[in-house]
Amino acid sequence: MGYVAVKGGTKAIEASIERLTYDRLQESEVIEVKTIMATMRALVDQVMSESSLYSPFLAALAIKQAEGSMEEAVFIMRAHRSTLPRLHYSNIVESESMLVERRISASFKDIPGGQILGSTTDYTHRLLDFSLASETKLENDQWMKNYVDKLEQAVSPQDEVLFFPKVVDYLRQEGLFGGHELDDTPPTDITKENLSFPASRSARLQTLTRGQTGAVTALGYASLRGYGQVHPTVGEVRVGMLPIYVGHPNEPEQTEEDSYYIGEIKVSEVESFVPVSVKNEQNEAELDFEIGYGVCYGQNETKAIAMSILDQCLEHPEASFPTHDEEFVLLHIDSVEATGFISHLKLPHYVTFQSKLNSVREVKRKGESNEE
Amino acid sequence: MRRRRRTEILVQANPNLAASLANEIKQTYTYKEIVTPRHGLTMVKMRESAQKSLFYIGEVLVTEAKVEIQGEIGIGIIQGMHDEVATQLAIIDAAYNAQLPETLSWTDTLKAAEAEINRKKIKQQAELMETKVNFETMDV
Repeated sequence: MGYVAVKGGTKAIEASIERLTYDRLQESEVIEVKTIMATMRALVDQVMSESSLYSPFLAALAIKQAEGSMEEAVFIMRAHRSTLPRLHYSNIVESESMLVERRISASFKDIPGGQILGSTTDYTHRLLDFSLASETKLENDQWMKNYVDKLEQAVSPQDEVLFFPKVVDYLRQEGLFGGHELDDTPPTDITKENLSFPASRSARLQTLTRGQTGAVTALGYASLRGYGQVHPTVGEVRVGMLPIYVGHPNEPEQTEEDSYYIGEIKVSEVESFVPVSVKNEQNEAELDFEIGYGVCYGQNETKAIAMSILDQCLEHPEASFPTHDEEFVLLHIDSVEATGFISHLKLPHYVTFQSKLNSVREVKRKGESNEE
Repeated sequence: MRRRRRTEILVQANPNLAASLANEIKQTYTYKEIVTPRHGLTMVKMRESAQKSLFYIGEVLVTEAKVEIQGEIGIGIIQGMHDEVATQLAIIDAAYNAQLPETLSWTDTLKAAEAEINRKKIKQQAELMETKVNFETMDV
C-alpha cells in the first residue's frame, strides 16, 4: 500500500485556534505578566530552567500564553530562543561569588557561616490557606509594613557584604575530601552539536540542568529506590544570585577588571556527598567520598538535588542500573523532546495504521479460509 | 574607574544614574549609533564545584547597544530587555574609552552609588540572618 497525500482541515485548524483564544478569554479575566512574575516565582523559575533561557519576563509571558502549561511554555521559550543571536559567552562563573539567600547542609550542623533557611516552604503545613481566596491588597500592604518595621528593629547590619565559604571547600581544607585542579577544558555545547556517547561531563551537566523537573526528579528518586547505586547525603544546598560578566569582544589584552557586568541570575546549587569504596596504596578497600553536583536556574532545590544524584550515577556507568546509563537518562529528560515525541502521536498516522489494519485483516482472512 | 566596577554600579544602581550620566555626554557631544539596541543571548559558562570543570548552565537574555563618540566605540550590555539603558551604558562606555573630561568628575558620584548599593545588600543580608538557625544541643 502506497502513501496517499491528503489535504484539508485548514478551516478547522483556524477555527480551533480561535477556540483556544476563546477559552483563554471567556471568563473576562486578564492576568498581567508582572503579576505572574511577582506571584508565581517557582513556575517562572522552572520554565526558565527547562527552556535554558534566563528571562523572568519572557518566561512569565510564555506561561500566560500557554495558560499555565509547563510543556507549552517551555516549547515557546525554546522556539523564541532559536530566533535570537548569541552575542556573547560569559566569563567563567564561580559559585563562590553567589550572594546567598538560602544555605543549608544535611551533613553538618555547624557549617562555617551557619545555616540560613531564607525563604522556603520546607517547614510549612501543607494545608490549603483559604484566607488567600479573599486577600486584599490593603491587608497585604499592612502585613508588609509590619514585617519591614519588625526587621528594622531587630536587625543590626554587619560591616560588609558576606560571601559564604563552601562546605565542600572547608572539608577539602581539612583533608577529608580529595581536591581537584582547575579544569579549563572548553565545554561541549549541546545546543551547537548533537549529544553523542560517551558524553563529556560538560554535555552531561548541560543536559541535566535543562532537563524537565519531573523527569530529573523521577530518575533521581529511582536511583535512591534501588534502580541505581547512589544514595547521597546533601552536603550543601544554596540558593542565591550569581553575577554575570562578559569580556570585551575585541580588546586583545584585557583583564577581569575590563569586563562588563551585565546582571545576575538566581540559581539553586547542590553538592551531594556519596560514599564510595576505593583501594588505598596497600590495595586495601577503604571508604572515601565523591561529590555529585547539581545546579539549575531559579529556586528549584528538588531538581538540583536530583541532578546531583544523576551526576554521580553517570560518573559510574553500570549496565545493570538504568539510572547509570547515560543514554537512558540524557535522552529522555528533555521537556521539548519528550513531550514533542509523545505529542506527535496525535498527528495523523492514517496510512501507517491502515497498513497495520490491512495486515490484521489479511491474517484473519487467511485464518478463516484455513478453518474452512 | 575600571569597566567592571563602573558597570556593576551602573547596572545595580537606580536607572536614573545611567540616564543622567549619558545625558551629560549627549548635551556636549554627538554620538553615532553603531548597533541600535538589540536583543540576544549570552551563554553562561560555569565552573562546577565537584571536579572543578566547566560547563554551560544556559543562556541569558540580554540587550546590547553600540555607539561611537570621537572615534571610540562604546558597548552597553544589560540582562533583560532594556533598550534605553543599553544605549545609555554604551554612551558612558564610549565616554570612558574616549577619555572625555566629564568622566573624571563621575568617580565620586559612582562611588556614592556603590556605597548605597552595598548598604542595601548589607541590610538585606542582615534581614536574612533572622532565618539563621541557632542549634541547641540536647542532653540525651
